[in-house]
Amino acid sequence: MTAARRKHLGPLVLIAPAAVLLGVFLVLPYLNIVVMSFRMAGQGTPYGPGFTTGNYTKFFADSFYLLQVANTLWIGLLTTAICLVVGFPVAWQLARGNMRFRALAYGLVLSPLLVGIVIRSYGWTILLGNNGLINRTLTGMGLIDRPLPLMYNALGIVIALVHVFLPFMILPIMAGIQGVDPSLESAARSLGASRFTAFRRIVLPLCTPGIQAGCILVFVLSLSAYVTPSLIGGLRVKTMAVTVVDALIDTFQWPWGSALALMLSVTGALCVVVFARLTRMKWKVARP
Amino acid sequence: MKRPVLTLYCLLVYAFLLAPILVVVGASFNAGNFLTFPPQGLSLRWYVTFFHNDVFMRAIRTSLWVAAVATVISGTIGTMAALYYVQHAGRWKETVRIAMLAPLLLPEVLTAIALLFFVYAIGIGTTTMIGMVAGHVLITLPFVFINVSASLESFDPSWDMAARSLGADRLTRFRRIMLPLIKPGVIGGALFAFIISFDTFTISFMLKGIGTSTLPIQLFDYLRTNFTPEAAAVSTVSILLTLVVVIVSEKVLGLRIHRF
Repeated sequence: MTAARRKHLGPLVLIAPAAVLLGVFLVLPYLNIVVMSFRMAGQGTPYGPGFTTGNYTKFFADSFYLLQVANTLWIGLLTTAICLVVGFPVAWQLARGNMRFRALAYGLVLSPLLVGIVIRSYGWTILLGNNGLINRTLTGMGLIDRPLPLMYNALGIVIALVHVFLPFMILPIMAGIQGVDPSLESAARSLGASRFTAFRRIVLPLCTPGIQAGCILVFVLSLSAYVTPSLIGGLRVKTMAVTVVDALIDTFQWPWGSALALMLSVTGALCVVVFARLTRMKWKVARP
Repeated sequence: MKRPVLTLYCLLVYAFLLAPILVVVGASFNAGNFLTFPPQGLSLRWYVTFFHNDVFMRAIRTSLWVAAVATVISGTIGTMAALYYVQHAGRWKETVRIAMLAPLLLPEVLTAIALLFFVYAIGIGTTTMIGMVAGHVLITLPFVFINVSASLESFDPSWDMAARSLGADRLTRFRRIMLPLIKPGVIGGALFAFIISFDTFTISFMLKGIGTSTLPIQLFDYLRTNFTPEAAAVSTVSILLTLVVVIVSEKVLGLRIHRF
């Protein structure tokens, strides 16, 4: 080996462990799951011999599953929209506000990320249940006679998901707003633009990448969320991720579960592509 | 405060973010047999019950063990990859970055299922911890990579050349120039890896074997059938453990976390 070759190969040692890890424990499993989705159902085993497209035809033939995908997408969309509306003013204040307690406020936004998702969902069951804190307080004050149905429905799931994923919306938007020079706004204002026009024409277009990153992150995360829908939705409202995991854990239908999981992921990816087209996104993998 | 409406609105959002966490902590001191409101007096009885509950104690040990092992492995591999990415990747830079972030961009539920089938396909199944640890390394790797490569962005190759022209060998250059630069990134990344691993659910849920449930799994199982405040005590201890890790790294090691 020549010295030049060796010099070129030397640094590859640095990337080799990561490449092997990703190759063996990410690429191969993903190839395997695609193959698995075309296998036959087994008799008393996770999967049988032979291949079929039956898992996919079953999915498209049964309106139950299509409806469930639609339901999951709806919950994801609602969660994303609410996160955006709730989070934007907070991101704005964090980026631009003259606050004495900015570090504290930033810590408050980050703090839910340090608490496990099971614990946070559990907190919501304490708050939202029929005998939960909110319903007890309201009945105690004599405002309602019967408990409000806050849990075991889509409403409860969306409330808890907004809580779980809100930081993922606030942080990229905050970074986006911080990247916009405030003097651009002043310039627009001095040229006679109203405060709203300056915001709409100057600030909003410039911080769009942050908004896009936040929306995609929250949408994708809420589609594959398992714990929150499972604890809050109970047996009554099931999202796709819950159905998939239960199909694998409880009934061991591996090929069917694989097909369902892949269909959910492909649908989610399609939604992201449509979103990117609609908002004229510049494709550059967003820095998380 | 210039804009009272905006400030008030933000305070409400912060309250919303903290509410479920505070409620859990508050519920853990409930003396009653069930989570009732208002609480039937204050007590630490559920902490005592929890500390005598072998199932939960074993789960905490498993969680800490898996998180420690995963942090060491992904800290090492991620740091090496970040060094390659910043200094040697050349025209492969973007490819390396996307590949390293892939575990973060792919849905965790799909990754977990794919890994479960894979460990059975290669014959190790869930009787060993290999699958679970591999999964934890996979999902924590991007966080180490992001933090270390961010801390390397300010690196100027001429410093390295200067040291070289002054006669420093490769090891000395790494120890005296590179290491101090990447140290905050490595610590921040490792801290993040530890917390993510300690709290992660889906990967552990799919890849757990018999008796290798982590704390979030055990808590989830418990919550499906039980309604005593013991779960709140378990949660509070788990939150405290995370806080201790964060505060210790902040005070002792002086960390700086890049992004999230």
